[in-house]
Amino acid sequence: MPEDLREIRNSKRMSMSQLASRSGISIATLIQYEKGEQDIPHNDLVRLAKALYVDEWDINPHSSPPPSPPRAARPAQASQPSPPKEKKPPQEKKAPPRSPPARDTQIAHMLTLAARFGIDRDALEEKIGKSLDELTQKEARQWNGHFMRRVAEEKPPSPINRKRAYLPEGIDGFELAYLQEQQEAGSSLDFTLFDGQTFEGMVIGFSPYQITIRESGGDEITLNKLAIAYYRKAAKKPAGGSTGGSK
Amino acid sequence: MSLGDELRYLRAFHGGGDLGEIEQEMGLEPGTLRYMEQRYRRVGEDDEELAKIAAYYGTSLEKLQYHRERYRKALSAALHQAMESREPIRFELRTGETLAGRVRWWDLGTFGLETGDEAPLTVVQRHAVLDWHSQ
Repeated sequence: MPEDLREIRNSKRMSMSQLASRSGISIATLIQYEKGEQDIPHNDLVRLAKALYVDEWDINPHSSPPPSPPRAARPAQASQPSPPKEKKPPQEKKAPPRSPPARDTQIAHMLTLAARFGIDRDALEEKIGKSLDELTQKEARQWNGHFMRRVAEEKPPSPINRKRAYLPEGIDGFELAYLQEQQEAGSSLDFTLFDGQTFEGMVIGFSPYQITIRESGGDEITLNKLAIAYYRKAAKKPAGGSTGGSK
Repeated sequence: MSLGDELRYLRAFHGGGDLGEIEQEMGLEPGTLRYMEQRYRRVGEDDEELAKIAAYYGTSLEKLQYHRERYRKALSAALHQAMESREPIRFELRTGETLAGRVRWWDLGTFGLETGDEAPLTVVQRHAVLDWHSQ
């Protein structure tokens, strides 16, 4: 199930500004996405997924609004006695807040799950007792849970015990770990670009698209990953710097 | 190098530009070029479309067909097999260089290559790989 951007960012312990700099999307836009005020377009989903090291379909393109913060208790007013209040007529007890309407993604997920049991939309609405458009988020969550449990219970054992290869294509995990390690160790790396230029320097920052290095002379250079062919730890040299001249 | 990577490379060397506008100038259906640039699986089966792209970028149809055979999933499979078997593998790079060694790890954009006992690990960007051969 896709999760809201805010939840994924929090689970990755990434601040809004970190995500903005990694994804290249402004903080103002990210706030709109997280509040659900604006749907996340596909190209931004791809950038966010890369920045958060998740798959793009893990992010819900339409976030639900964040829960409102609890109201602060009113400070007691002790200075002046307040005038006696008029007694208000007893009010009717408020009904509990109604759950918001189900999200499109919840309905789509429910239809996919129901289809596994040969239940189409009409049959599903009959089973639920109302139109899917009238479902609340809470009800949709309950029905999705119901179908998920059925899937888990009725899943036939696989006839073949197939061991699937681990294909880490969804993430830059190893490169991320490597660059972090080199950055923390303060190692100097040699970069070779597509056009044969080479640069040497310490990694001082990186994102899914760029690596910033500081050369021995103190210059900082940001290399676009698309322009890099390969890099490795620099051989220890007595002195000298990069052989390249441009970014 | 996959067809998608080659097309991104060609677009970058032609001044970047909006995919939609380029598709229109090439005479392709909207989304065709975007699809080819982004997919990991084999794409570009329609030679007529490839010919239009080749003409626009001033390259040959045969060259694009060459890249079509080297799609990203195929490189993933080769990397995975080489990593599991610990067999050495040779890569021809866009820089004109050839790197050979054992694959230590691979992921979305790069792979770590052990080129020798003493040599430090080389991190190769996958889009720099033109072709690969088991040794």
